[in-house]
Order: sequence, then C-alpha cells, then structure tokens
Amino acid sequence: MKQLRAMRELSTVAILIAEVVFFAWYLSPEAGRAHPFLNADNALLILKYSSIYGIAAVGAAVVIISGGIDLAPGAVIALSGVVMGQLYVADSWALMPSLAAGLLIGLASGLLTSLLVVIVKLPPFIATLGVMGITRGVAFIITEGRYYDVSGRLPPGWQPMGVPIDWLAPIVMFAMAAIFQILMTRFQWGRAVFSIGGNETAALFSGIAIGRVKASVYVISGVLASLAGIVLVLVQGQAKADLATGYELDIIASAVVGGASLAGGRGSVMGAVLGTLIFGVLRNALPQIPGATFYDRLIVGVVVIIIVVADQLLLRRSQKS
Amino acid sequence: MSLQFDRIEKTFGAVNALRGVSFDVAEGEAHALVGENGAGKSTLLKILAGLVRADRGEIRWRGQPFASSSPREAIEHGIGMVYQEMLCLPNLSVSANIFCGREITRGGRLDEPAMRARTRAVLDRLSLRIDPDAPAESLSAAHRQLLQVARALAFDCRILVLDEPTTALTDAEADHLFDVLRELKKGGTTILYVSHRIPEVFRLCDRITVLRDGAFVDTFTTATVNTNDIVKAMVGREIPTRAPLAEAQGANAESRKGEPRLSTNRLTRAGHFRSISLGVWSGEIAGLFGLVGSGRSELLETIFGLHAPTAGEICLDGAPVTFRSPRDAARAGVVLVPEERHRQALLFNLDLRHNLVIPKSALTGGALIDSRGECRDAERMLGDWRIKAAGIEAFPDSLSGGNQQKAVVAKWMATRPRVLLLDEPTKGVDVGAKFEIHEMIRARAREGLAVLVVSSDLPEILSLADRILVMKEGELQGELDAASATEESVMHLATHAVVSA
Repeated sequence: MKQLRAMRELSTVAILIAEVVFFAWYLSPEAGRAHPFLNADNALLILKYSSIYGIAAVGAAVVIISGGIDLAPGAVIALSGVVMGQLYVADSWALMPSLAAGLLIGLASGLLTSLLVVIVKLPPFIATLGVMGITRGVAFIITEGRYYDVSGRLPPGWQPMGVPIDWLAPIVMFAMAAIFQILMTRFQWGRAVFSIGGNETAALFSGIAIGRVKASVYVISGVLASLAGIVLVLVQGQAKADLATGYELDIIASAVVGGASLAGGRGSVMGAVLGTLIFGVLRNALPQIPGATFYDRLIVGVVVIIIVVADQLLLRRSQKS
Repeated sequence: MSLQFDRIEKTFGAVNALRGVSFDVAEGEAHALVGENGAGKSTLLKILAGLVRADRGEIRWRGQPFASSSPREAIEHGIGMVYQEMLCLPNLSVSANIFCGREITRGGRLDEPAMRARTRAVLDRLSLRIDPDAPAESLSAAHRQLLQVARALAFDCRILVLDEPTTALTDAEADHLFDVLRELKKGGTTILYVSHRIPEVFRLCDRITVLRDGAFVDTFTTATVNTNDIVKAMVGREIPTRAPLAEAQGANAESRKGEPRLSTNRLTRAGHFRSISLGVWSGEIAGLFGLVGSGRSELLETIFGLHAPTAGEICLDGAPVTFRSPRDAARAGVVLVPEERHRQALLFNLDLRHNLVIPKSALTGGALIDSRGECRDAERMLGDWRIKAAGIEAFPDSLSGGNQQKAVVAKWMATRPRVLLLDEPTKGVDVGAKFEIHEMIRARAREGLAVLVVSSDLPEILSLADRILVMKEGELQGELDAASATEESVMHLATHAVVSA
C-alpha cells in the first residue's frame, strides 16, 4: 500500500513537472525578452495563491479519505476573513485576538458540521451544503456589502515572525501538509480515517471510535479553511463577503487530482497539495496564452477529467498485476 | 452431447486460479462442482458467465465453442446464474428484478402487464406465492435466492448454474429449492451445482467433480461414493468428522458451577428478541441455534454494543455492564466475529497487516503506530492461523473466503478477549478452513475463553458446542446437551412449540 501511495504521489509530481515544462516551452518569449512564465516572481505568485487552496485542500483530503465531502471551505474562508477584518479594522482589536477569532469561526463551523453528520446523521453533502449557506450568509450579514482594508492597518513592512508576507501562505501550507501527512500515515487516528472511508461498518465492528473520528475530520477541515481565510486576508490585504467564492469545488478537485477517491479510503494529503499546485499553474499560465482568455475554465475541466481517468486506468492495471 | 470444459487456464497476477481444468457435464444431468475455497470453482463459474475471460482453453456446448464475453451474452447462450451473494435490486419490484436488462417493451415503452404475466407464470412454475409487484427488499432471503432461479427460467436457460445457493436458507427452504431443481432437471435443464455442503450434493446431483488448488481432481458418480471419499478428494487428507466430545463435556460441567463469564438477564430488544436469559461460562462453547429471523444475530449484536436493549441487562462476571459501542464491548473483552465478513469485518482498502492489527491497536495501542511491532504481530498471525496469503502486504480481496475468515477470527483473538461471540463463523468457508477454525476456537476455549457461537449449520453446532441453546422467533426455546442432542432434537425445538427444558 505504501508503494502504491508513493507511486501515486510521484505521478502527481510528474504531471506538475510536465505542465511546467509545457508552459515554459509554449510561452517562451522571443530572444532577449524575459520569460513571462518561467521566472522566480511568477513562481512565487503561483505558490502564494495556490497555497490558499492548498491549506484548505489538506482538510478536504482528510474528509474525502474518510468517505465524506465538505462543501463549506470557500464560505468558511470568507467568514473567517470577514470576522477577522471586522474585529481588526472596524472594531480596532489587536491583530492576534482578531486572528484567533477568525480561527474560532472554522472551529465553530466544523463542530456544527460534525454535529449534523455524526449526531443528526445527515449525509455530509447536505450537512456541508447547509453549513456553506449559513457561513456565507453570516459573512454577508456582518459586512453589509462593505470590505475591510486590513493592509491599511497592518504596520508597513509587517512580517509575521520574520517571514516575508509573500512566503506566509506557502509556509503555512507546507507545514500543514507535513503535519497531516504524518498524522494520516503514522498515527492511529489517520489509519482510523482510512478504515472508516474504506468500510465504515467494518470499522465500527472493529472497535474504532467512528463518531469521534468522523467529528474530528470535519473540525479539521473547518479549522484549516479558516486558517486559509485569515492567511488570504493577510496576504491580499482585504476582507469581504464574496471572498473565495467557488473555491470548494476547486479544492475538492485538487484532492481528487491528487489521488483521493470520492468513494473514500484512498488518497493523500500531499497529493491534494500537489493537486492545488497543478491548478495554480493552469490558472496562472492559461491567461497568458493569447486568445485563451475565455477557454481557461473549459481547459481546467478537461484536465481534471483526463487526470482522474488516467489515475483509474493506472490503478486498475496495478490491481491486476 | 454435453458441456465440456477443455483445459481451462486462468492466472490472476501470481496466483494460478485454474491450471488446465477439463471435465464434461452431460446434458440434462445435475452435476456438482465441489472444492475448498480457492480451489477455482468461482473463477470457473465466472468464465462460464462471461465475467472473466480464460487465458487458455475452451468451453464447448454440444461440440461447439461457447465463449461468452459478457454476462449478457452468457444469458443469450442460455446460461442462468444463481449467485451466492444474491444479487438483486432491492428497491425494484419482483418482476422488474426478473426482467432487469432484458425488459419486454412495446414501441419503446415498458410493457408492464406482459412482464407481470410472465413473472407470474415463472413463479407458478416454482410454486412460489410472491406478488410480482412486491418490492424485492420485502422478500425473505430464501425468496430472493429463488428470484434468481426465476430470472434464469424467464430467459429459457438450458444450463442453470447455482453457486452456494443454500448458504442463507433454512432446511425447509433448501428442500423447496431442491424440489424445484429436480423438476427443472426432469424438464431437461442441465444443472451445475456448486456447494460446500456435501450432503446437499448427494441429495441432488448425479455426478460430482472435485477441484483442488485450481486443478481437476476427479469426477465421481454419486451412487458409487460416500461423503468421506469426496471430502478426502477435496482436501487431499482425511478429516475427523466429530471431535472427541465426551471428555470435554465432563470438564465443562465442572467449570459451569461458578459465576458465568457472560450472562444476560431478561434481555429484550423490541421487535427482535424477548426476555433472553442465558449464561456462558469460562472454558465452554455454547451454541445458539435458530432459523433465519429468530433474532440470534440481533442478540449477539446487542451484547456487542451495536444496539441498545429495550429492557434487561448484560452481566460480565456477575456485574451489570452497559456497552454503548462495539469499542466499549471490545475494551471489556467481549468481541464479535460478525456474520458478513465482506460488509462487517474487512477493510479492502488496507492491506492484511492493517486488517489483522487494527482492533488490538485501536483499542490498546498508543496514538503513534508501531509499524515494526505491527508487522511482526501480523506475520506471526499469518503463521499461527495458517492464513494462505502472499504476505502481510496482500490485500484481503486476494484471499479465499476461508483465509479471509481466519483473518477475521485472528484479528479478534489478538485482543485476548474474555468472551468470543461468533456469528456463523464458517459461512462460505471450505471444509479445511472450517476444521482449522473449529480447532482454534476449541483450543482457546480450553484456555478459559467463553464462547457463544451462532450457526444455522446444524452439524457445525453439534460438533462444536458443548451445550446448545435454541431460539425461535425472538425467544429462547430451551437448552440441550450437545453430547445427547441430535439434528432432529435441535430442529424440533427450533421449529415447534415450547418444550420444557
């Protein structure tokens, strides 16, 4: 199983590399001009914005491996950002308490989802669809159409713990990915998540505390989404209610492209993060192709299908041999 | 004039599922195919049904090559399959199940009246009183099994293939099935019958073909052999049919004097069982027999903490306990090997090592997984239980049914339980593995484990249990001493009015 997993992550890396090589070639400029795609600034830009998806995708991967789904991350990103902005900018709170309040939003929405899934026993799709509506709705109620200029209040040249602001998101993402990769592969908890996703009834019969584990999965997804939210606001400098609209589907797609199975029991956190980078490169490079402006969504859709189909064919072959 | 299998070969990865199997099934006969799990019967059936393609070899019908590349083609060839797993679409009606995939249509629209009429005709032929419009989920297990036979008949099958059709049936239901099959045989249908239950094969079949480890062993004419000959051919050695009971019996009567390890006091779960009071002592194997629907599985699941009882109590060493989940129960040393290993016991996305160590690790291990220790434990379990697998990295779906079941029993035994609840421990398991599982259970009981085993396999209960409790329609009917009990006396209790025990 370990070998299979490693192989799967390698193939995600291979796709990412192939993609970068393709755009480096396709977008190569005339002699003497700077490369519009293949340069350090652009790489950091891709990393910076992919990381917002990436942080939330870590949680989404955990939920998907457990056999569930979370549609709320986009809305939770927005509400966390808005709450943080409201407290920090409008209510003049200090920065740290504002950030903590933003994270509490993720905890609260995660707990609400857990309650609906584990106690009320709603299907995760419905429960998180509801939580998505509620969190996004509260964000609109709080802002009443305003936006908060967070960067205006941050001290000029502010560096959280000495980290340049551009590096904040990637560092948080890789830290979360590393922590959860270890939790998922080396800890009882992670194995319980895989067990429940593979066969929930058998997991129950095997003495696994499935209620507790399932609850934890949604709380983690909520907290990581709110972490993505406050990082997004710090990086972008602005908080508003329509932040991260539609992110939830991109996040789920990233996890799936990274090897997670929506049927549960299969996937990896690292894969999901690599998946967000694959999308990040597409999102960055496609608009640079002359005439492709209106095609980027279509191309992203086709790429998702191709990667997942190729993955299934590979899996089928590896199961046969 | 026959169905010929000619040097059929099939490998899955490194496993030689079939290595050149050849035999003939005469037209119009009932032919049994027997062998341990892993012998290759299922693969052979799948090839016949068009689900799997043979690597080499040929199937011929009346001398003509007869390969099906899909189940649909097999149906068109006149092969009717009745599977062990009882495939049916529970949400659809009986007639929709029968015609699924081959609906009768008129001008593109479903012709419900025609299908209903054909369904009724087929059901009459099987003397089944089922409403064609009833949803399949409302049918009993036996009727669902017969529904598959009906489906085969509706498509005018010439060869009816049955894979372990009686696993979920009571004896009376099996009798009915046999009556139907004999009628069909008289009508000229060729029957290929796969079963672990040798007595059934003798009741029904004209000839018996034995497979072992993917190879053809022999074809016997039923009239000239006995059960022992077949079992010997299947396992390649002789198996004692009944363990020496008498000495064990004495020892157990002795140990039964004190407080029972596990007891229930007027335990009730509304709608399933009522007022069950029983005790299981350390060192004994108590058998619980009851027909399907008698509430026996529900009783075990309730003791295991899956359901809350409506009334009554469960005691461990005389002290009342409440288990809110299987985890609670397992922590207290009460474990259940459930009836359906595919649905309730195995994690097919994880390899054998994880499957073997999860209960113990999840109950008593630390937060961090001790990979090396787990691998060592899992390796040892493979050896101790003689689980045939490519290794601890093999996935459970690569194991035969018998080896899967050994793995499930082994994973619970690793937690050193004090009470072992077994629900149909050898369902769909071959003779060899069955024998080994029984031996392991007996050995653990001798070391002081209290065992409560539910089985609808009478010979199993009689040979395994020291004492037999009989349930009927949710109530305990009585108790019999295994040494003096017979199939008749147990069945009498299970089917007739209350006898004072």
